[in-house]
Amino acid sequence: MHKFKSSHHLGFFIIFGFILFLTGNRVDELRVYQGASIAVYVVAISSIILLTGYSGQVSLGHGALLAIGAYSAAVARNNFHAPVVLTFVIAVLAAALGGALLGAAAARLSGPYLAGTTLALAIGLPSLANQFPIFGGEQGVFFDVGFPPPSLGEGFTQYKWFFWIAGLAALISIWLVANILRSRYGRNWRAGRSNETAAALAGISVSRSKILAFTISAGVAGLAGALLSMTIGTVSPSAFPLALSFSLLTGAVLSGVSTLSGVMIGAVTLVAIPEIADAVATRIGVSERFTTNLPGLMVSTLLILTVLFVPNGPVEQHRTRQARKAAKEKN
Amino acid sequence: MFQLLNTILIGITAGAIYSLMAISIVLVWRSTRVINFAQAGMALLSTYFGYEAMVHFNSFWIALPVAMVGGAGIAALIELVFMRLLVKRSSTGPMAAVAPIIATLGLLGLIKGIISSIWGGADVRLVGPVTNVGYSIGDKTLAFSPLKLLTLCTVVALMLLLTVLFQKSNIGLSLRASAYSPEIARLSGVKVDFVRTLGWSLAGAAGAVAGMFQTVNGNGAFSPESIEFALLLISGFIAAVIGGLESLVGAVVGGLVLGLVISFVLMYISSSLFFIAPFVILLIILFVRPQGILGVKAARRA
Repeated sequence: MHKFKSSHHLGFFIIFGFILFLTGNRVDELRVYQGASIAVYVVAISSIILLTGYSGQVSLGHGALLAIGAYSAAVARNNFHAPVVLTFVIAVLAAALGGALLGAAAARLSGPYLAGTTLALAIGLPSLANQFPIFGGEQGVFFDVGFPPPSLGEGFTQYKWFFWIAGLAALISIWLVANILRSRYGRNWRAGRSNETAAALAGISVSRSKILAFTISAGVAGLAGALLSMTIGTVSPSAFPLALSFSLLTGAVLSGVSTLSGVMIGAVTLVAIPEIADAVATRIGVSERFTTNLPGLMVSTLLILTVLFVPNGPVEQHRTRQARKAAKEKN
Repeated sequence: MFQLLNTILIGITAGAIYSLMAISIVLVWRSTRVINFAQAGMALLSTYFGYEAMVHFNSFWIALPVAMVGGAGIAALIELVFMRLLVKRSSTGPMAAVAPIIATLGLLGLIKGIISSIWGGADVRLVGPVTNVGYSIGDKTLAFSPLKLLTLCTVVALMLLLTVLFQKSNIGLSLRASAYSPEIARLSGVKVDFVRTLGWSLAGAAGAVAGMFQTVNGNGAFSPESIEFALLLISGFIAAVIGGLESLVGAVVGGLVLGLVISFVLMYISSSLFFIAPFVILLIILFVRPQGILGVKAARRA
């Protein structure tokens, strides 16, 4: 097993997390809830970045993997009374298993074929919930992580508890993903993405490395799914529409699919868009019809503009520009 | 026995509509090597055009050409404004392979948003030119009506027309040439850019017909949030992959296979497998015969 060489990164993450938790005490409930949503999106987007940006596989069906995580967490909690921490572990494992199966199929598929297959999965899988009574059909099932422990004090609200859990999960998963990406596996993925034949000649088993990428990405996505249903309180097919898969992909593209460091940009944008749309709509006073569709329109427009003008994401764009400038100064 | 006959008939009619969607996916794939995930959105938008024409003129036979022209126009516009820019801007870098897929998805979202903003997400309701009441044998009613017969005939006619266009005409020759090798075609004097736009418009028109017939054949409801739309979105792609992505005949065969399998699953296994069945079929096809039923082996990696 590759040894992680990032103790100073760990320190950085701990300080960053501490600052986040402190701010959690300062702002109002809505902001705390949005903070929890941002943390959920950070987890979900980092799983897409790992898969699409590093191993070069497109998944339009990450919503389905989130659903697997969410449902298994809820079933573990409701039917087997598992403790909260264990439900998240189960979510990760179940989704990773699903991801391994999907990855085995995906390793044989290229570009558009994989995209279409995962798209079909995203549409198909949530409807399976109606097939088995344990998943509660259209209404879904409850997923309740319980009240915050009393030791945290009187004023500690439910939303703050969500924020703490999601924030901690986001920090852990970012730290893990960042380290995996810089390890041998991350290099193998990038090699396979750039040139499959060359990677295979260099001794990398491309299909095995692709399956591994899918499995890890799915595990992270499963965690995101469990966190998402924690903030909603229920798990139902309607919580995982196609639109969710699309907005996660948008978040990843906005973050710059091939750089993990931009992940906050995408997550914050996804949470901010409904609010911005609302503000814009009130300002210009358009019809209600338009207002309800404005967030969707903004997401799609942003997606298209990003793909057209900063296809590798703002962080990468900035980095390239810096590198070019440095090269010019040298000459 | 009677149930079996009905299942087959339902499957074939649904399959005919999937075939049309598959044809439009194949046309775009052949002309620009892009899987257009926004195709169903374009079909839906054209159907709304047809719906507006229906409201004004109250005739299906005016609404259908309006939808087709509208669909062709939108497709041409998207190709001219959007796809050319995309090809120019993001053909290098780590995103090169992924960018077109994500871009067409963005288009899909944009089209859906525009439709919902204008028509408020209301269902389109269209009345077909002929009745949708099934033929009857004795005292039993078949799941096959004059309208379904018309749907089948239209699909067959369209496919024949496109096949003749591709195989016998000069335009068809240049369409095939630029699909085969854009560079060589350009050197031989084919206006590749124009041909690409043409391929997209043909696809847009075919998608419009699919949308119109889907609407009159279904329970009349067709909207961005409807099940029919989600099904059209994936079935076109799946049918095209079953057929091998390259051939029009393959697209039709793929559509019919898909329609029949879904119909049998619904009738004999469970109706809640409605959406997972297409996915399973797709996986089986990709594992057993990745080049599609009528595809050639090398085509898949293109």
